Amino acid sequence: MSFEALNRRTFLGATAATLALSAGLGAQSAERKTKHVVLIGFAGGVRTRETFGSPSNVPNLVSLAKEGVLYKRVKSSNLGHYGAALSLFTGVAEPRGIRENGRGEEPTLFEYARKGLGLAAKDVWIATSGGAQQTNYSYSTHADYGERYGANTVDGDGLFNAEFKSILETLGRPKKLDEREAELLAKMRASIGGADPKAALNNAESAAQVERFILDELTGGTASLRGPNAADAKAIRVARNLLVLFKPRLVAIVLQSADIAHGNFNGYADVVRQNDAAIGDLMKAIRADPALRDSTAVIACPEFGRDRDLNSRRGLDHGDGSEDLEFVSAVAWGPEFARDRVIEDDVRAVDLCPTVCQLLGTTAPRAKAKALPRLYA
Amino acid sequence: MAPSSSWTSSATQAGQAPLDDGRTQASPARALDAATLRSVFCDLLGRPPFAAERERWLGQARHTLLDALLGSEPFWSQWLEEQLYYFFLIDNFRPESERVLAIPADLAAGKLDPREATHRIALSPSFDQRNPGADTFVTVVLEQFTGITVQKNVRELEVGKAIYDGAGGTFLGKVGKRQADIVDIALHHKAFAETFVAREYERLLGESAPAKERAEWARRFHQTPREYGAIVREWLLSEAWDRRAARKRPVSNRLFARALYVDLLDRAPDEAEARRLRTALDGMSDAGPLRSVFARVLIDSGMVALPDKKSIRDPRAWIAQRFEALLGRAPSAQELEAFAAAFADEACRPATVLYALVTHAEYQLY
Ligand SMILES: [Zn+2]
Repeated sequence: MSFEALNRRTFLGATAATLALSAGLGAQSAERKTKHVVLIGFAGGVRTRETFGSPSNVPNLVSLAKEGVLYKRVKSSNLGHYGAALSLFTGVAEPRGIRENGRGEEPTLFEYARKGLGLAAKDVWIATSGGAQQTNYSYSTHADYGERYGANTVDGDGLFNAEFKSILETLGRPKKLDEREAELLAKMRASIGGADPKAALNNAESAAQVERFILDELTGGTASLRGPNAADAKAIRVARNLLVLFKPRLVAIVLQSADIAHGNFNGYADVVRQNDAAIGDLMKAIRADPALRDSTAVIACPEFGRDRDLNSRRGLDHGDGSEDLEFVSAVAWGPEFARDRVIEDDVRAVDLCPTVCQLLGTTAPRAKAKALPRLYA
Repeated sequence: MAPSSSWTSSATQAGQAPLDDGRTQASPARALDAATLRSVFCDLLGRPPFAAERERWLGQARHTLLDALLGSEPFWSQWLEEQLYYFFLIDNFRPESERVLAIPADLAAGKLDPREATHRIALSPSFDQRNPGADTFVTVVLEQFTGITVQKNVRELEVGKAIYDGAGGTFLGKVGKRQADIVDIALHHKAFAETFVAREYERLLGESAPAKERAEWARRFHQTPREYGAIVREWLLSEAWDRRAARKRPVSNRLFARALYVDLLDRAPDEAEARRLRTALDGMSDAGPLRSVFARVLIDSGMVALPDKKSIRDPRAWIAQRFEALLGRAPSAQELEAFAAAFADEACRPATVLYALVTHAEYQLY
């Protein structure tokens, strides 16, 4: 089944549910033009020098800035990639181990959005590029939030890995069950009484939708993306497909291929250029979709920059405490934002969390940050 | 005599009933049932037992199984996999060097202890590539080997970075001159033993180690890293493990990948099969839907040896066997009734029964 056909047929039910849900929201969000937010963690450590300092690297980000707001001095925290990217989502700069595979204690904006707005799991997504560790962005260990308010994550490089696709091609697709068999299966499953199902991220309905999304995506072209930024490109592609299909309220994208910079400056600059191009494709899809065009905000920001000087391998590490490392540039584009506005004042990367929450019509009560200034037209 | 034999009880060496194990004698109830057998295999080998192993070990004493598994090469292979996962040395960063690949065999032969094995991992090119640059390398060594938070110990980080770059310095109380010294010093610090023991306990028991015992295990491990096997043996014979077995733990994606192949095909996946599936599952905050998709793909692939429905003379017995093999328990009367009723319907295939079991939440626990 084609993507579009799936969209029309299989998801008619889902769309109806979404409509019903948005109709039920308060007047607060009804007044807002922004219905969807795409938050791009342009992560992996990206300096302003290679983005807005070299406009030819990032023509798409530059054109977003022309039609939106550019923050030239966003203070970040050198907490390692994982901790710093997590702080974009929690609005709290807390140290996390670099290789720590554990959740944060502070709720993420995904949890704020799902809890505050009563959103279903399919309304809040994260497309990642860095595998296991990044699924931890989905939700925190906070007692009032947690898994039942988590975002679905899809790791582009994990799921849309050409090798994984090849196993599925070898094994074939699952048989379609006829109605009677599906009914018997459901009866047998329902009779099993051994496990106590706790509050899960997806309910049965959204789990089934995610299942179908996966099957359909696996037959698409995402797995064949190549190049040094392949993992990032897949994450952006996944986000694009999710946006078009589910019309979610919130999609975050976490990139990371730029970290190739530790050993390869030129490779890093290439990644920046290619990720900019992929964001250009994403913007094309948003602009082409009448349901997204005038109601989607896009915000992009690195988690931190990189050192000022090259290391002995002619690469760029991150740890020198320089302005290049600690200040990055962020861009915000959306129906309610100012156009062609450049903010020279210092803001903070953690401010993204309350900003996005505000845009969606909710709050981030535990964030130690405030919404970005001078954003709206 | 293999040097590794200190990890198993002396009784097994003589091939006699282990009379030296007071705990085991005191609790004859420690015979392996389907559930504990499954749990021991999953904990120690990272997969459920094969059909032949199930037959061999059901009803046997738990400690005899431990004696057979602990210190074996498959046990150390699984140990190595878990360590590589902990250090995120996976996918493109998976070490391919012979020295690292030889770790399980060398541990099984007693040529290495777990601390020396960790040392080998940390000095592999993959570890260096995974953690590039002074800041990242030293931070990861401090965090993952000693549990030290660098933000609270800026001095150690700064000295470590200086040593990494070839300038000398006193790191964690010892003088170092080069990158390799950082690893060496950290591994021989008692904080490594403490962190390692706490992490391994949590990995195998699914909960934090009690503080007092933890200190004692760490002390033993710090002095004699070869004690590791004996310590794990104690853990798996402890009441804490009995509680863990009764409570059940969530199946990790890497265990799921291997368990599915063993349960459905009676063989372990090869490294590439396991990796691809695990990587895909690891990218999902809720892996449930993809687990279901993959389980159905495998069942429908034609590779699973499924009996012809007509050849199943006693459906109830066949269903009960499936419960035992896949969920590690017999079906309740109610479950058996529901399954048998469904199976009697023409539209229900043997595969449908398998779908129901392996896509159920209970299969996600062990
Ligand atoms: Zn880095």
